[in-house]
Parts: sequence; C-alpha cells; structure tokens
Amino acid sequence: MTSTTSAAVVSVGTRTVTRAEVEDFLYREAQLLDEWRLDEWFTMFEADGRMEVPTTDWAGWDATTAGYFVCDDYDLIRARVKRLKSRKAHAENPHSRTHRMVSNVILLEAGAETVWISANFLIHRYRDNGAYTYVGRYEHVLKVDDDGLRFRVRRAIPVMESMDPGARLSFIL
Amino acid sequence: MTQQTPVRPLGGVDGGALIDEDWEAYRFRVHRSAYRDPGVFRDEIAKIWGHTWLYLGHETEIPNAGDFKTRTLGGRPLIFCRDSDGEVKVFLNACTHRGTILCRHNEGNTKFFQCFYHAWAFSNSGDLAALPGDESYPDDPGFRESMRLRQVPRLQIHEGFVFIAFTPDVPDLLTHLGPAAHYMSLTAKIGPHGMQTLPGVQLYSVKGNWKLAVENAMDGYHFAPTHNTFVGYLRETGFAVTDDDQYAYDLGGGHGLLVLTGHNGRIGMVWEPRFGDEEKARTVAKRNEMIARLGPEPAAEIADASRILFVFPNLLLFDLEALTIRQLEPVAPDRTDVRAWQFVETGEPESVRALRIKTMVSFVGPGGLATPDDIEAYEAVQRGIVATADSADPAHDWSDMSRGMANEKQGNQGRSIDEGAMRSFWRHWADRVGAATAVAGDPPADPGAPGPSAALASGKE
Repeated sequence: MTSTTSAAVVSVGTRTVTRAEVEDFLYREAQLLDEWRLDEWFTMFEADGRMEVPTTDWAGWDATTAGYFVCDDYDLIRARVKRLKSRKAHAENPHSRTHRMVSNVILLEAGAETVWISANFLIHRYRDNGAYTYVGRYEHVLKVDDDGLRFRVRRAIPVMESMDPGARLSFIL
Repeated sequence: MTQQTPVRPLGGVDGGALIDEDWEAYRFRVHRSAYRDPGVFRDEIAKIWGHTWLYLGHETEIPNAGDFKTRTLGGRPLIFCRDSDGEVKVFLNACTHRGTILCRHNEGNTKFFQCFYHAWAFSNSGDLAALPGDESYPDDPGFRESMRLRQVPRLQIHEGFVFIAFTPDVPDLLTHLGPAAHYMSLTAKIGPHGMQTLPGVQLYSVKGNWKLAVENAMDGYHFAPTHNTFVGYLRETGFAVTDDDQYAYDLGGGHGLLVLTGHNGRIGMVWEPRFGDEEKARTVAKRNEMIARLGPEPAAEIADASRILFVFPNLLLFDLEALTIRQLEPVAPDRTDVRAWQFVETGEPESVRALRIKTMVSFVGPGGLATPDDIEAYEAVQRGIVATADSADPAHDWSDMSRGMANEKQGNQGRSIDEGAMRSFWRHWADRVGAATAVAGDPPADPGAPGPSAALASGKE
C-alpha cells in the first residue's frame, strides 16, 4: 500500500490525488443527479462498481450481514437508472426536485489503485408540495485512473434516525 | 399528533355505514372517512391496538441475556428485553415513579435500566433495584413491590414471533392466530438451524393510513401497473412473470394470505437466472435437505409458492424472493411508521446471505425498485381522498373494492388479482371497531377454504 496522510493530497500508484480533484468529482456528480442526467452519472462507476445505502441503525455492518436500504451491484445500478428514466417509475413521476450540498471532503486513505474518501451531504428534496431533508455522510472507494476517478463503492450513510414521513429513497441519495 | 375533533359514533356521513356491501349488485365500498377521520383513528387505537394481540418483534432480535430494544406499539413506548435469566420480558418504557421514559436508547445490553431523572434503577426483570434516599419512603416491603416496572398484561411467542396485548382479556395467542399460525410455522422451518432477524432494520414512515398499507399488501391487482418497471427488470433478467394460479385466502380473524406462484424466484427454493449458477446448484441441494428433514409435501408447501401473510392488525410476512418481516405502527390517521427486518436462515453461507439481502432489498423497502411505487400509491390515495370529503354528492366519498365479488358469490377461490382479501380485512376491521356495516343480499353460503392446505386436504386442489 502506498499512502500518505496529508489531508490535501495522497499518492495512488504513480500519481497524486488532491482533495480539489475529489471535490470536483463529487460536485460534478451532485450536478448530474440534481439535473437528472442519469446516463452520464452511471458512467462515473467503474465496471462492477457498487452502490450502497445502509439503514439508519447502521453500525458498520456490510451488506452480507445486515439489511440495507440499497445494495446494488453494477447490473442493479443500471436497472435503477433505466427504471428512473421511465415514466412508469411512479414514485419519481414527476421527478423530485433535489438540491445537494456536499462538504467536509476528507481523503481517508490511499490504496494501490484506490482512494477512500468521506464527505458530508445535505440533500433537500421537494415533491407534491412536500419538503424533505436528507442528511448523511458519503464514504466512497474511488478507483484512480490516469484520466480521472470512478466509483468502486459508492456508499451514502444516512444520519437521520429513520426515513421521515414521505422521505423514501426513490431517488439517488 | 394531537387531534381535537369531537368523538361521534363511528359511521359515514350522517351516521351511516362505513362499509357498504351488496351481494345483489356485487358492490363493496368503504367510506373514505375510514382513512381520514381522527375519531376512527382513536377508536382503532383503543379497540384494536388496545385490545388485540400485536406483533412486537422476533426473539432473535434480542439473542443474549440483557439484550434490549425499545419501540413503540399503539403509541405506547416499550422495552423489549431478555432478562438475566434469559426470559423475554416486555415492559412499559416509563419509570414507575413519575413516568419518565426510562430507557432512551434504541437498543443495547444491560442488567439495569436507570431513570436519569431521580436515579431509580430497575433490574432487567423489572425489580426496583435502587431507590435513592429510600429512608424517606414508608418502611413497607410492599412499597418496592408496588413500584416494579409495569409489564404488558399478556405476552406469548409463536415460533419466535413475540406478541403482546395491552389487556389481559384476549384469547390464547394460537387461538387468535388460527390458520395464520401454520404459515408462520412454514416460514420458521425454512432453515435447518432455524431462522433469525438481521440488524439493519428499515425504519421509515409513510404519509398514509395504516389500512392502506394492509390493502396494498393484500392487493395483487396493483402489481402489474404499479410495478411495471420492476416486472420489466425481472423479464430482462430472464424470468417471466404471470398471475396465473395465484390465490387469496381469508384466514379468519382479519388475517389474510396471498399465495403467489408466478411472482418471481425465491432464494434456495425457486431458481431464476439472476440468482446465478452457484445458487442453481444450491437450490437443488436445499430442496433435498428440506425433503429429508421435513418430508416431501411440507418441503413442497414451503418451497413452491411465494406467500404474503397478513396477521391482523400489524404484521406482514413477505415470503417472496427472500423473507421480510414488516410491522405497521399507526401514528395518525394519515401517518404510519413502518419497520422491516430481513429474516434469514441461521448459519447459511455468506454468499447466500449476501444474495438474499441484495435480492430482497432490490425489491422491498423504501430504497428498492418496487416498494417506493407502493408507497407512492398509498400516499397518493391519502392525498386524493380528501377531494370527496363532505362532497355535494355523498355517493362520491366511497372507495370501491368489489373486484371479483361475483366470483366470490359463486364460492370460487378468490384470485390474488381480485379484492377479496381486502374485503375480508374490512369486515373484520368493522367488527373490531364497531363500525356500522350495511349488507344487502345474501353472502355466499360457503365462506371458502381457510387456506391452501385445507383446500389440498379436501381435495379441491
């Protein structure tokens, strides 16, 4: 493992990853999701990437030992994108309006070809005259390529005690 | 949520019936105030949640001595724990001194529950263990005894499913469950080493009346249109979905059962391509294991059909691709808290466990590919039914549940894609809350089989 502990820059393989690069990656993702550009968003995953949302009682369990809200393998992420683009995805027809704030980006640890990062998120969602707030933390494993970053594991961890009334996860958290 | 609407006799507009059933016109309607009216809601909490067996949780949620969970049932905060002797106990979560919430954690392990307010402490079997400054209290051994934690009046366990009642005058649990007990037992027999709940509980709340969640689960009619995108996903992964040969059963006591054969595959039971080749071989081995352990007929009964079991009033057991226990907690006429646990074979290989969890949560839960559309549906009902409240034409303020009624009249087994399971739920509901029911014409002479096993036994297969 090649790693440095600087908060602002880490070495992964033969190149460095800066916090600014990770922030740009997360900001771009937030923009794609807020604009419902889901096909472009899907390209941010490496082949065999995963997406997970643990439950609100999460205490570090992985999806082989505990119930989750979302534990999508690559095929299921693709199926989710296809579903959300359909007008028959009734829970998102019409689409929710979302407004994402991503902050507190931290480079946790670098591996041979990945960087582990965390960030806080705050998502406001509006639909049917209702307003919902989702608060949580991202803990992602990003594959570092010469041309950029890709999700290997995209994990969104809610910090709410439960999903509030109406606050289902029919959109991408 | 506090509602200040005056109490009036249960009934529709002008004290009319809430249920309107006509066996000549094949009409079954529910007055929409049943989903809206705060008075109806208060009656449900008092007469159903206050006087019926309620599903609290599964024994495996608290496997070790001292384990506890707190949760609310019928609005009452409870401690669900295993005491130091290993016995399951359920206490009202309120200090006997002044009523403070005693345990403010969702879960944990402890020998004692201590109130932070005046530091009274209780053992996990309910004894008052410490009373600061007790020299100022009467020197009377009866005093401490009178200050024990308040246990729920009734607690019984069937196959690990823990039920409680807030009044002592309920029948024995197995009497209450009736034929539903058998279907819970089928589920409990799946694993050779038993079954257990997993951590990772889906806690969510919906903006809808609790009865809409029951209706939705007992309603096969909505499956194809509501879950169009999920059915499309199943087809793409190589599994054809049909609604042939799928039936609904009235198990009595408000309990209902859908038996679904063409729904989708089941982990370890019915293979489908998206489960992969490793699971294909395991499915064959699993069937052989069940045949050896249980015999061929019970093995087939467990494995060959998916089931959705509703145990009145608050338990849904989804024995589908995998198993989910879902509990309903009414909060207000238009709000329901839902808790859902994955229910798995104890000791199964990690690869199977992972496949089971992935498959189930891809369908079920607020983040799945299907449940969000169910939630959308019953939240949309809750929003829509205010349109006809106090309507100029009172005939508009009813919801129709008459699908399949002519078939029911002829004594045919109800289809899952009809609304018979909802009708039997509403009849029992009306009986429990004392709601006025208008019945015209003659109901069918034969109320139908209590379940597919009885149908098999009587040769009606």
